[in-house]
Amino acid sequence: MGQGVLDVDDNSFESEILKADKPALVDFWAPWCGPCKAIAPVMKELEEAYGDSIVFARCNVDNSPNTPTQYSIRAIPTLILFQDGKVVDQIVGAVPKSHLEGLVKKAL
Amino acid sequence: MPKDLYDVAIIGCGPGGLQAAIHSASKKAKVIVFGKPRNSSLYKAHIANFCCSEKLISGKEMLEAGRKQAESFDAVFLEEDIIETKNENKLFSLFTESGETFTSRTLILSMGVARKKLRVKGEKRLVGRGVSYCVDCDANFYRGLDVAVVGNESAATTGAITLLSYAKTVYLICRKLMITDTLYEQLRNSQVKVIQGTWVKEIIGTNDVERVLLKNGETLKVNGIFVELGAKGALELAANLGAIFDAETVSFIETNRKQETNIPGLYAAGDITGQPWQIAKAVGEGCVAGIEAAEYAKKLADS
Repeated sequence: MGQGVLDVDDNSFESEILKADKPALVDFWAPWCGPCKAIAPVMKELEEAYGDSIVFARCNVDNSPNTPTQYSIRAIPTLILFQDGKVVDQIVGAVPKSHLEGLVKKAL
Repeated sequence: MPKDLYDVAIIGCGPGGLQAAIHSASKKAKVIVFGKPRNSSLYKAHIANFCCSEKLISGKEMLEAGRKQAESFDAVFLEEDIIETKNENKLFSLFTESGETFTSRTLILSMGVARKKLRVKGEKRLVGRGVSYCVDCDANFYRGLDVAVVGNESAATTGAITLLSYAKTVYLICRKLMITDTLYEQLRNSQVKVIQGTWVKEIIGTNDVERVLLKNGETLKVNGIFVELGAKGALELAANLGAIFDAETVSFIETNRKQETNIPGLYAAGDITGQPWQIAKAVGEGCVAGIEAAEYAKKLADS
């Protein structure tokens, strides 16, 4: 809890997310994206609440082009929930906290 | 080059922005207001519940009267949308749809809230699979592909022009363009294929967007469609300045009782800070924001 949102990239994605021993929620974002900035504090709040049971991470699509391509991402922010290396669910856009919390609870 | 420096810049000329302009200009601040009155939700409304005016008043008349009042205190009005904002060295830079730059010591955001979704068949199902609401965010995912932009105003037009640097073909679907002459010239001289006088009827695709069906019966083969209705709103302009949004909806800007956001010199007033959607609330918040911004600008100028 309170570890903060983990930064992942093309190199660390497999070990940190796909092979994680917990479910992982990844926020695909970029520094020039307004809605991404708006949702960042929500990710932080959720990490503080659920960080014990779920990995909260973010992947900058500008620096890591391969991972977003692999998951056919064509809009940011896209938030994908992974479990045992597989996509469980995903949300596109700056959605309300309750939507994102609903996604997180699926993995608990 | 930036024009001369303003104390208070206001985006939005609805009741919140107008009251902010009246209060800041009457405190001798140098004030400029951006925006188009017809984009205010008050423009088409009739008001019956605003204190001290018994008669039903037309929103349009109120907006005109408010502008005259603010102008009598020497506030300047420019009927243009702001398409980009920056905050550097304690100053805000504002870029208009016609390509001009203005600089101000403070910025009051009062552009209200507007509908972002088209509400057509296929739209919701294909979000993130070709349907996008942000050219600035997602243009890079459409390199070498064919895309359409839908919208009648500055966000759609500037968005279509931006996409030319990424996509192979860019269509702009609009009923009727409502933009400045300068922006219209820029569009006319660009490679954007403008389809005017119609609208999107349906977005079609199995897994990703494949086609867009128009109301005139035409079908466009595209890989993506960007929905850019109206002018740029809070998520584009305020989030890029680092303003914090309410966590519950991620739609409204958080302010304190002085209408200050988390960014020094940045204020918000009116619908953009959340419900209730009332002229009285917008005016009250605009008053506070105007007074606070004028005082902040004066301190900054004296320091």
